[in-house]
Amino acid sequence: MQEVYVAGAGMTRIGKRSEPLQDLMAEAAHAALLDAQIERPDFIVVATMNPEEFLGDGNFASNVATHLGFAEIPTVRVETATSSGAASFYIGFSQVAAGLRRSVLVVGGEKMTHLSTPRVSEIIGRSIDPYERSYGATMPALAGLITQVLLGRSGSAAREIAQVAVKNHAHGAKNPLAHFQQIVTLEEVMESRMVADPLRLLHCCPISDGAAAVVLTSERTHVRVAGLGQGTDTLAVRHRRELVTFGATRAAAREAFAMAGFDPAHVDFAEIHDAFAPFELISLEDIGLLPPGKSGRATLDGDTALDGRLPINPSGGLKARGHPLAATGLAQIVECVWQLIGRAEGRQLPAAHRALAHSIGGLATNNWVTLLESV
Amino acid sequence: MIETIAASRCPRCAILVAPPATYCPHHPVAMTPMTLSGIGEVVTYTTLHTPPQGFRSPLHIAIVELEGGARFVCHGADTKGLKIGATVAIEAIDDIYYFSHLGAMDRARLFWRRTGRAGDRVNAIARSLAKRVWKSRSVNTVE
Repeated sequence: MQEVYVAGAGMTRIGKRSEPLQDLMAEAAHAALLDAQIERPDFIVVATMNPEEFLGDGNFASNVATHLGFAEIPTVRVETATSSGAASFYIGFSQVAAGLRRSVLVVGGEKMTHLSTPRVSEIIGRSIDPYERSYGATMPALAGLITQVLLGRSGSAAREIAQVAVKNHAHGAKNPLAHFQQIVTLEEVMESRMVADPLRLLHCCPISDGAAAVVLTSERTHVRVAGLGQGTDTLAVRHRRELVTFGATRAAAREAFAMAGFDPAHVDFAEIHDAFAPFELISLEDIGLLPPGKSGRATLDGDTALDGRLPINPSGGLKARGHPLAATGLAQIVECVWQLIGRAEGRQLPAAHRALAHSIGGLATNNWVTLLESV
Repeated sequence: MIETIAASRCPRCAILVAPPATYCPHHPVAMTPMTLSGIGEVVTYTTLHTPPQGFRSPLHIAIVELEGGARFVCHGADTKGLKIGATVAIEAIDDIYYFSHLGAMDRARLFWRRTGRAGDRVNAIARSLAKRVWKSRSVNTVE
């Protein structure tokens, strides 16, 4: 298998954006190509979760490639719900690793803020099992069901979960591209409006627009793709025995670490899919970055803050950087790359050599773990 | 009256799912249709304050584990006072399933119905009482 390197990374400011999605994706893609000093990639992978319903546009790979000025470059679109960005990175990686292409542009984006919140919630909810959806299950509802179990297990869980949001807002405040750049207090989180009991508004990521892109090559750069893994699970949450651990994350982590040849103890920092604050705690334990039952305490103790021993979500995470669906998996990787090459202005970690990005698709039906290392 | 809920079982791994599915989620095997009685334990629940279109706020949703381990998603009139592990009955109104809390008399009737011989019934009730006492004890020691 050919070694694969990240040659360039770029992303837009995340938030409420007035530009069309194609322009946002072009902004990210051109920045990544400029960074890589590659004018024309051999192949393009486009990630969008649902442009058909958000925008009314189909055939989106060709749509984006043509808009970028690459009408003649082979292109595909990849979709695994909210983890589409991470999935597109995997497809780009496999093209280079297999020796089929020398350079691949991977670009993901989503535009949703022009629609009402109930409509956005409904469109994202299409990724939920139809029977559960027929009972009104939305992503926040399913996350609420999971959080309820978590709270029943420990008396301190409510504070631990709230602290995830406090920490990630503090990180986002240092990231000029983040959707939210203001801090929140523990009290503000714990007293925010109830969304899906016991899940509150400030436990949830925002609805965001944005795009992110990376260029992968077979030529050596300063960042190597060390390992990737995918894990899947039942579409229906009710078909699972366990609610407060995601089998799809555990499987993805196993596969990624096996490919990389190192274990979670060697990871210096991570970008974790905190679409809902409790998911960060669940995922840290599923990946093996923290022992079972210890992630909440570690968060309260500041271990996962920027200056902690295992910084988690230096970008602000989905919570504060924002969650433009198919852009997110790539935005996580862009943050990892910038940290690894010392370009994370205002939030640069001192000793960052090995990075992990973790992305959840749907309600943990299609999850990804990506490992990068500086070389 | 206790509701009957349509379900299906995988002939290979014996997993039970409700409502019935054509194929097992874990094996490419046709499932065998069957029915389960509408009594179960609350696995988890939530109250949704911003439900999707077509639903009224607040919307109560629970996952209930039926006999044999099939987990079922249903609505309820309220989640106030509801606890994880509580026994609830499931009823269908206009083909929509709802959970409802069970009172002491309902519980007694359930045990009566579920167990066969008189001795078994007494044992079952005693076991249930012992379990409840033990549960409340262990909760106290944790706190």
